Amino acid sequence: MSEKIVAEKKLQNLHDAANASLLVAIFVGVWQLVFVLGLFPKIALPSPIMVAQSFDKIILNMSLPIGIAVTLGRLVAGFSISIILGTFIGFAMIRFKGFGRTLNSFSAGLLAFPSIAWVPFSILFIGFNDLGIIFVVIMSSIFSVMISTYSSIRNIPSIYLDAAKNMGAKGFSLFRHVTIPAATPSLIIGLRQGWSFAWHAIIGAEILMSIVGLGHILSVGRDFLDMSEVIASMITIFVIGLVVDRFLLYQIEERVRRKWGLDHHR
Amino acid sequence: MTKLQAKNIVKHFDHNGNAVLALDGVNLDVQEGDFVCIVGPSGCGKSTFLNIVAGLEKPDSGEVLLNDKSLSTPGPDRTMVFQEGALFPWLKVIDNVEFGLKMAGIPKDERRQISQRYLDMMQLTKFADSYTYQLSTGMKQRVAIARALAMDPEILLMDEPFAALDSQTRDLLLVELQLIWERTKKTIIFVTHNISESVVLGNRVVVFKNRPSKIKKEIVIDYRRPRLAEDENLQKYYHQIVEALKSEVIAQIKDEVQ
Repeated sequence: MSEKIVAEKKLQNLHDAANASLLVAIFVGVWQLVFVLGLFPKIALPSPIMVAQSFDKIILNMSLPIGIAVTLGRLVAGFSISIILGTFIGFAMIRFKGFGRTLNSFSAGLLAFPSIAWVPFSILFIGFNDLGIIFVVIMSSIFSVMISTYSSIRNIPSIYLDAAKNMGAKGFSLFRHVTIPAATPSLIIGLRQGWSFAWHAIIGAEILMSIVGLGHILSVGRDFLDMSEVIASMITIFVIGLVVDRFLLYQIEERVRRKWGLDHHR
Repeated sequence: MTKLQAKNIVKHFDHNGNAVLALDGVNLDVQEGDFVCIVGPSGCGKSTFLNIVAGLEKPDSGEVLLNDKSLSTPGPDRTMVFQEGALFPWLKVIDNVEFGLKMAGIPKDERRQISQRYLDMMQLTKFADSYTYQLSTGMKQRVAIARALAMDPEILLMDEPFAALDSQTRDLLLVELQLIWERTKKTIIFVTHNISESVVLGNRVVVFKNRPSKIKKEIVIDYRRPRLAEDENLQKYYHQIVEALKSEVIAQIKDEVQ
């Protein structure tokens, strides 16, 4: 029976992939059609082929591979610091209730604060360099991690904590063996959200304050009126965002959900 | 020998900013090896009383003594079986059963031995490696009972553990629980709103008054075991409790309507 389920799931995945390819094909087709009709000047809207040639160019001159590597490097550095500090502050908010409540009352403002608005501050405060960009990434994602840590722990059903205390769990072992696992599904959702904030922030910061990176390729394209390079870079950004979320974060979330039986609610 | 003594327990709780008196001086002595059922109208504070015994809530005044020693914090000497089971979904069945033992720092081999024993007792051996979502409600409650027993508590507290079960599963567990009680000689306090459950299980049935609650009546049930829910001879005890509860339920309904 389980083999049948697996086979069905595979078929479903294949089906989804076929649909996704179809959507991309239709999109490229419409794009080509608009190009052929000449509705916009070539410089404003290049053809799919021209964008492909641009890809070829920026891959061969290494600006794309280097850009991806640099951007992801900054992102990983910034987002890791966000996770560590944000989680730590989230725990502190739980530990010191007054502090937690106060900080939480600012959460809406902190979460909605546009990442781009950190750029001028960062340039003046840190400088026009890698650290400045990483700073923007940190400031844009840390509040999301912090608030989601805080609310994930606060939303743990009290029955788990009661049951654990009843069985003699307290202090650090209560935290490690009950609080953390009980909050995990919600913590992962928070991380996904934080990742998306970080990703928004880094591209914005790189457009404005970098001499290398994916965002920088965008701004070079703009400076040289090279729309195909701009589009090629946008496609890269889209694909990376998609791949990281779908094939990394989403997979982790799914695994936790499956183990917890969260997909078995009917 | 007196195992547990609740002395003049008073407890208020907060209802929309008003302090409502829930428990108004509850006194209860439980002998070692006794099986005491507490019944009362819903919202009368019987679960609150159990939480106070468990140390999960603090009384406003009064105290609870276990083996003549005053209690204030939760502890593995009084393990609780909750209504919803409260199993940990991130742990396998066997790890759920071992949780308290792990907290007590018992080495892994010994933990396994103990948990196997109680899984056997609850007929859960086959499900040791399952996660809780794979179990039916009845099986979850068996795991919860195994988990509580594995701690070898001084006293077992049960807070409407069978309330969510279908009646066949419940009848089965009512018999099993009596057999386990006879085998383990545990002292049990069992809270329920189900009168027939209390009659089947209890050596003594303690009836709580409607809020503000205290003990209204105590009925001793000296009858052979294992008792079955459909046993005609239990009817007279059943009616005594119904009689005691009737005015309380009416009072409770009045409270709710107002």
